[in-house]
Amino acid sequence: MPYPEEMVAPMRAELTSAGVRELRTPAEVDAWFAQKQGTAMLLVNSVCGCAAGSARPAVKLALDNEQRPVRVATVFAGQDLDATARARELIGDVPPSSPSIALLKDGQLVHFVPRHLIEGQSAEVVAVELIDAFSQYC
Amino acid sequence: MGTFHDDKGPLHGITVYAREGDTVYVGRCDTLTADHLVLHDADIHVEGQDDRSNDEYLQRAARFGIWKKHDTLVVSALGLGPVQPLGDLVRGAGKAATAPVAPAEPAPAAVAAADDIISLTPGAAAEVRRLLLAEPGPGRGLRLGVAGGGCSGLTYKVEFDARRDGDLVIAQEGFEVYLDRKSAIYLRGITVDHQPGLSGRGFQFRNPNATNTCGCGESFAV
Repeated sequence: MPYPEEMVAPMRAELTSAGVRELRTPAEVDAWFAQKQGTAMLLVNSVCGCAAGSARPAVKLALDNEQRPVRVATVFAGQDLDATARARELIGDVPPSSPSIALLKDGQLVHFVPRHLIEGQSAEVVAVELIDAFSQYC
Repeated sequence: MGTFHDDKGPLHGITVYAREGDTVYVGRCDTLTADHLVLHDADIHVEGQDDRSNDEYLQRAARFGIWKKHDTLVVSALGLGPVQPLGDLVRGAGKAATAPVAPAEPAPAAVAAADDIISLTPGAAAEVRRLLLAEPGPGRGLRLGVAGGGCSGLTYKVEFDARRDGDLVIAQEGFEVYLDRKSAIYLRGITVDHQPGLSGRGFQFRNPNATNTCGCGESFAV
């Protein structure tokens, strides 16, 4: 059951204020994935404090890097259920995980950060590892 | 390591794995006691299931996660091996903690101006210029970085060095400051000062990212 919107609004804003595009409907997800050229990153956001509390600032920190994905978007697991389900279908053959971060190149999943690799890590540590992936693929 | 609910053990909230004979359990740890392990969003794999060994199953799980088969799983601790974070299977091998899906050719790192990352006080800048003049060399600048170690987990590195590919470069009057990309994450917003005098303490770091520093100021945590 989704949390009250007023509770999650700051978690949405933390990303959208950094220029991350939020995909709220399956149609928005389809349109975002339809553009396959270049690099793109999708964060599956969540209210989980254990991991999403590091994932969101990590994405923001990593996006300050010169080499970064061209397009960056997010869906909110547990909140925007249909959009998240559609995104999970399109990300690739990886188990659902939230939060998680998918890096795509020309429409193909090239790097994936599941929740358990974010748990217990500081935002800085996750950001550094994302930047390493950016250096490799972006 | 986990967060919240200290009464449920240090692994609460962390995705873990544990072996018992030819069976391996993976899931998000709720509670770990001397009697039982409670997992959420869990999966069980038996040696040879799906034509995979438990080790092969765990390697894939560590990189990409698991397809959950059980919302909640209660496992007796009797006969259960050590309960360990699943992420350790990736990090423990000394590899990046995140998971590349396929190998790719590394791209050359970019050089970027980054004068918003750190600042030097006039005293620190003057001391750097003095030291560089005393031992000049082509392309030499001040390299700042961080490395693991020290009593608070990370230590500052200060050295004179040439610019390298991928460095963030901060132009100062008369010299340049170089930071590698990883260090820049930890050093964002830092101010470098220098205290002169017979009892002076040399270069000092004021780091807004540090959640803990040791008494000497040379080590910090984030």
